[in-house]
Amino acid sequence: MRLLLDRFPGTVSQLWTDTDTVEVQVPRGQIVDTLRTLRDDDDFGFFFLADAAAVDYGPQNWFEVVYHLYSDRHPAWLRIRVRVDRKSPHIPTVTDLWEGAMFHEREMYDMMGIVFDGNADLRRIFMSPDYRSFPQRKDFILPDDAADSAAAGVNPLERPETWDLSRFTDALPATETHPGSDETAVEAGETLADKSRPR
Amino acid sequence: MTATDPDVRIPDPIELDELEEERLRAAAGLGPRRVAGDGAGPAARPEYAGFDQVGLPDRPPQTEREQRLFTLNEGEMLLNMGPQHPSTHGVMRLLVKVRGEVITDLDVVLGYLHRGIEKLCENATYTTVLTYVDPMDYMSAMHNEHAPAIAFEKLYGIEVPRRAEYIRALVVELNRVFSHGLMMGFLALDMGGLTPILYGFINRDETVELLAAISGQRMLFNFFRVGGVNWDVNDEFINRLSRWRSNVEKTIGDNELLLTQNEIFTGRTKGLGVLTARDAISLGVSGPNLRASGVPFDVRKAHPYSIYDELEFDVITQPQGDSYARYMQRVAEIKQSIHLIDQIVDKMPHGPVQAQVPGIIRPRPGRAYAAIESPRGLYSVYAISDGGPNPYRFRMRDPSYITLQVMPKLMPGHLIADTMAVMASLDPIMGGVDK
Repeated sequence: MRLLLDRFPGTVSQLWTDTDTVEVQVPRGQIVDTLRTLRDDDDFGFFFLADAAAVDYGPQNWFEVVYHLYSDRHPAWLRIRVRVDRKSPHIPTVTDLWEGAMFHEREMYDMMGIVFDGNADLRRIFMSPDYRSFPQRKDFILPDDAADSAAAGVNPLERPETWDLSRFTDALPATETHPGSDETAVEAGETLADKSRPR
Repeated sequence: MTATDPDVRIPDPIELDELEEERLRAAAGLGPRRVAGDGAGPAARPEYAGFDQVGLPDRPPQTEREQRLFTLNEGEMLLNMGPQHPSTHGVMRLLVKVRGEVITDLDVVLGYLHRGIEKLCENATYTTVLTYVDPMDYMSAMHNEHAPAIAFEKLYGIEVPRRAEYIRALVVELNRVFSHGLMMGFLALDMGGLTPILYGFINRDETVELLAAISGQRMLFNFFRVGGVNWDVNDEFINRLSRWRSNVEKTIGDNELLLTQNEIFTGRTKGLGVLTARDAISLGVSGPNLRASGVPFDVRKAHPYSIYDELEFDVITQPQGDSYARYMQRVAEIKQSIHLIDQIVDKMPHGPVQAQVPGIIRPRPGRAYAAIESPRGLYSVYAISDGGPNPYRFRMRDPSYITLQVMPKLMPGHLIADTMAVMASLDPIMGGVDK
């Protein structure tokens, strides 16, 4: 942990640790350089990308891309969190460092709508190519009864009447960023989910 | 006879004249038909004329990679294997570009089984999440429950009773035995051998009956709880386990006798689908497939969870990295798991199997990451709590999903028939791939 602070002055922030995880936050612009150093430098040796996931912090208005790295020289997983603006969710790709990041990034694009700049194969992976919304965003309401269940009712994010939809409607990536992500206008009170998935 | 509108009627290709065909192709958004020597494309040899656009989808390519995939050179065609091809281990599609019988490019098309389990879990309470993850990777349901259970215990901050940890390790290793045992059978089945899968299912049924005796269900066990396990083991179970123990080496050994030295089997696996250690790490391959390429990475050793730091075992590796090495790796790991089960039964302490937890768990806001070694590799869960009764974000990293990325890397240059042999040796399970 001290090593991280010494080697990346001013880059990492918000250090936090768990029983077996060290967590740092890195600004979006420096993510590729930081990960490259962590992978190639002999002090770190984080050669294995264990996981890359996206988290939608709807109320705070940002996404977070989370990388988990493994090193055989350190006793903990390293978690790196990168904040991405919800209005223009762009982040540089790490497929040049790990080819295996491709499916992770395609899934994040498919489910959250995060655009990875420089990725040569960024297209939908689970949903069909003509699908238009991003199902794992918090403003995607499940069109079935699950959203009305007792458990869901407790979480305010799943109660559509409690939030301001106008924030989400202009947060999607613009059409020219990617051919698969052009969206139609959304009226108030109606989500993209309703448009693309008729009951 | 009903009257049909001549504009709507789909004409038989035989009765089309050239102008009509041109018009229809333009209406469908297709380019002019390429025939031999018309200068529009590379001149096709007469025997391929007409087949040069087979399999091309009727939409423009979206990325550079798709552009490359959809550009057919002379004598190439696109072939769809699946979505329900018998040896695709579930519902998936392989888009294969072939020249003759040799694969030149390959793309994996997923999503036919996608159920959105991560989203469902965000709407479920912490206890019910453990039931949702069962049908993900249905060959290793115990492992699927293990990682979320660890993650939620970290979030909530409860200590699991020692006996519960031992029972967990026991069921998880039992699950690994039948999962690897079935893989041996599927690998042979995809190459045309029917018997090994039947032997594999004998072993699998005995193991599954054992797990049903302890959990109450045969496939989707729902056995783990936050803070422990659902049921304790009793003496009768231990007796059944020792009976199983005396049989299992024989059923696995039968399969080994059929396969390991079999000339047809070795001829179709040795030297095929060679994955180098560097590629395997870069592609995120984990578990037996990574160790068969010579990388000694096993989560049970690297980040010991549960009681694995108290058990004696070594990380097994194979140097070759081909399909045969992946098969041998599984065989070795079955024996290792049986060895681990012996140790667990010997060391099992007495005590409770379930910690005191409330019915609806509300952990403090926080994040937890838990990784385990499933039969297919590194299976990890990243859970975020916002203080409510359901996880704010529940992320699962399934090993077979990431492992499938090696297919486009391995297959070019191989024959179509070897696709199944290589894929079965990677042992992907579509329920886990499509979440």
